[in-house]
Amino acid sequence: MEHYLLLIVSAALVSNVVLMRFLGLCSFMGVTTRVDTALGMGASTTFCITVSAMIDWGIEQYLLEPYGLGYLRTVTFILVIAAAVQFTEATVRKVSPAMFQLLGIYLPLITTNCAVLGVNLLLVEGHMNFIESTLFALASSLGYSLVMVLFAGLRERLALAEVPRLFAGPPIGFITASLLALAFMGFSGMSTN
Amino acid sequence: MLEHGSALPDPDQREIVEGFARVVAVETGRVWLEPEQSGSCGGCHSAGLCGLGNNNPRRQAARRFPLDGELGLKLGERVVVGVNEGSLSRGAFVAFGVPLLLLVAGGIAGQELGGGDGMAFAGAMGGLAAGFLLSRILANVMSARGQLTPRFLRRAHAPGPDAGCHIDQG
Repeated sequence: MEHYLLLIVSAALVSNVVLMRFLGLCSFMGVTTRVDTALGMGASTTFCITVSAMIDWGIEQYLLEPYGLGYLRTVTFILVIAAAVQFTEATVRKVSPAMFQLLGIYLPLITTNCAVLGVNLLLVEGHMNFIESTLFALASSLGYSLVMVLFAGLRERLALAEVPRLFAGPPIGFITASLLALAFMGFSGMSTN
Repeated sequence: MLEHGSALPDPDQREIVEGFARVVAVETGRVWLEPEQSGSCGGCHSAGLCGLGNNNPRRQAARRFPLDGELGLKLGERVVVGVNEGSLSRGAFVAFGVPLLLLVAGGIAGQELGGGDGMAFAGAMGGLAAGFLLSRILANVMSARGQLTPRFLRRAHAPGPDAGCHIDQG
């Protein structure tokens, strides 16, 4: 259990997918102008990363690795991610059309989010078993969502603050992101994983 | 007829997440609205590439929703609709959180019972299916309470002729 806990903390905070690995920066800057959009995007991405990681783990273990098809890994994973997004969209629409109206707009963005592919490729490097890979994907995406919501909250406050004209908008956003990344570096002493 | 700015009172007195929609059909006692993509994503120039643009009629049509009541809205009119902020987070939890939790629980249970990755995988898939079922039940309860349905708040100003992107004009 301690092993799983360390894996979760390491994936979510110590090696945060956005601030430490610099993945998913497009959505990090693009969808964090409001907390509610960041929350919707974070939840959708968390779901898609976990489901696609689960399927990619199976494909890697039972198809790509045994038959020496590693060179097809990136293409295969991209296809799986696109399929997972379509599956999620169809399922949410079926489960609740009203929910789809609320959250459906974030799903197409996930297909082009490099954090999803990045996490799936990191799983291959980690040589993890099924539960470890699923928990790693879930924790990584929760870390992504946490940073998205934190940053959106900061940007909502920045929008009301008096910022020098040259720094207004994305420049002050990037400076804030760098300070947030510095803060997250404080977690790096917590685990050697 | 409701005038611009005469927002219907929010019974819960909570923060409301607002969005724009356009009237696409008017029936007796009901109008159909098509939500507009908000300007929250800064990449408007690449919207056509990421699939978020308004140029996908099928995707837009799938997101149409009805609004009951004599609101006096006309075809093509832009309006501001809203849902409670809590509804969005609860909706996100029900749609994505519940299936994910059961997926992980099913995977762990499968590994503990069977001891192998195959059983863990099967358990996770079973958990995911159960999660979707539970999610559907919870979503139906929320829908019945009207928590997921956007409400009409007020009319929106029409965008200017040079407006290339959907900026907040409510």
